[in-house]
Amino acid sequence: MTKARSRSTAKKVKDKWKSKGWYQILAPTLFDKIPVAEALADKPASLIGRITELSLQDITNDFRKSHIKLFFKVYKVEESVAHTQLEGHTLTSDYVRRMIRRRKSRIDGVFDITTRDNAFLRVKPFATTEKRIQSSQKKMIREVMKKTIADEGKAKTLNEFIRDALDGKIGSEIYKNCKHLYPVKRIEIAKTDIMRQPTIEIEETKPVTKQEQPEEKTKELEIPSATPVSEKPVEETETKEPKTEVSEEKTTEVAEEKLEEETEEIPTKEDAEKPVKKKTAKTKEKKEKKPSKPKTKKKTEE
Amino acid sequence: MARKGIAHIFSSFNNIVISITDLTGAETIARCSGGMVTKSAKDEGSPYVAMKVAQVAAEAAMEKGIDSLNVRVRGKGGRKGGSPGRGAQTAIRALVRAGMKIGTIEDVTPHPHDGTKPKGGKRGRRV
Repeated sequence: MTKARSRSTAKKVKDKWKSKGWYQILAPTLFDKIPVAEALADKPASLIGRITELSLQDITNDFRKSHIKLFFKVYKVEESVAHTQLEGHTLTSDYVRRMIRRRKSRIDGVFDITTRDNAFLRVKPFATTEKRIQSSQKKMIREVMKKTIADEGKAKTLNEFIRDALDGKIGSEIYKNCKHLYPVKRIEIAKTDIMRQPTIEIEETKPVTKQEQPEEKTKELEIPSATPVSEKPVEETETKEPKTEVSEEKTTEVAEEKLEEETEEIPTKEDAEKPVKKKTAKTKEKKEKKPSKPKTKKKTEE
Repeated sequence: MARKGIAHIFSSFNNIVISITDLTGAETIARCSGGMVTKSAKDEGSPYVAMKVAQVAAEAAMEKGIDSLNVRVRGKGGRKGGSPGRGAQTAIRALVRAGMKIGTIEDVTPHPHDGTKPKGGKRGRRV
């Protein structure tokens, strides 16, 4: 009985199999449209709307990025080539689970942003701390996350934003901005959901200008969070002036040191020798030595 | 001919189902389950049957030109909970032995973020 049944189903499958063809799936423009996968379909129309899941390792050959999963959705098929749009990304569940420990805090948030090219996406950052922190601290860090991500989104196109999120640049940006509240251990964008693809077409800015953008952002962001009201106008004028990287940093450092030594957290060696310290200064120094970028663990594969 | 597929391995305590699909997960290329290789119901979830199932599925997939796989393992999940069953390990090993290249291995067991009450009552199952 069973044998007979299985044979008949096998026949059916084989007939269907012959009618189907392989289609090449290309990555979105963000990843230079490289061929990433092959999919099976009976006709091109049935391919539309399908989602492929790939790790970033598959695309970049960087094994440190194997914990990032990307979702590509087919929207157009030309002959035997399927074009895709980015649907979002997540971290693998085991990677997230590895970061969460007992007696450590986990901070995550859900924020909706609109990018410069009018794409609408939901961003879910994720941070862990060395020790358990108060919920009020969590709340403040979450506020910083929200502000940073909103500002980054406004300044960037969708592709730029995603690229920075995957590189950990947005994570390190948040790290910088919330360091004075509580130094978070690792921070990453755990998930993005692209809910509306970009409607305005903007030519991608050159990498040179891209580097300038986040620096401006940090200056603006540090104002409300890090410094008292009296300092606001001083810094704002600074950001408007076109200066080089180094000089900008120095001027802000000097200004901050003069005006408020108590809440200071610039990673310099002089800091340690200063008589005015916070109670948590020691722990802060330790963390400052660590790289701001979240370390990615090597994933062993079989 | 070097095509990649996904091996979805569902491994519960009582059975194992392997279905090999293309990378979109929409088209099934090969499929096999515990009942297809054994007659007795009690063996369906055993590691030996898992090995057999993996062999059958791998062979069928290779015939159709799949030679590397991403593996997604899942257990029962939901409020029944738990990790992949006893056949999962063997099944992956058998896939490798059959000549498949394995890319990533991932656990995709659906875990509730809090759902309904598990059966068994307040004081648990009393045997």
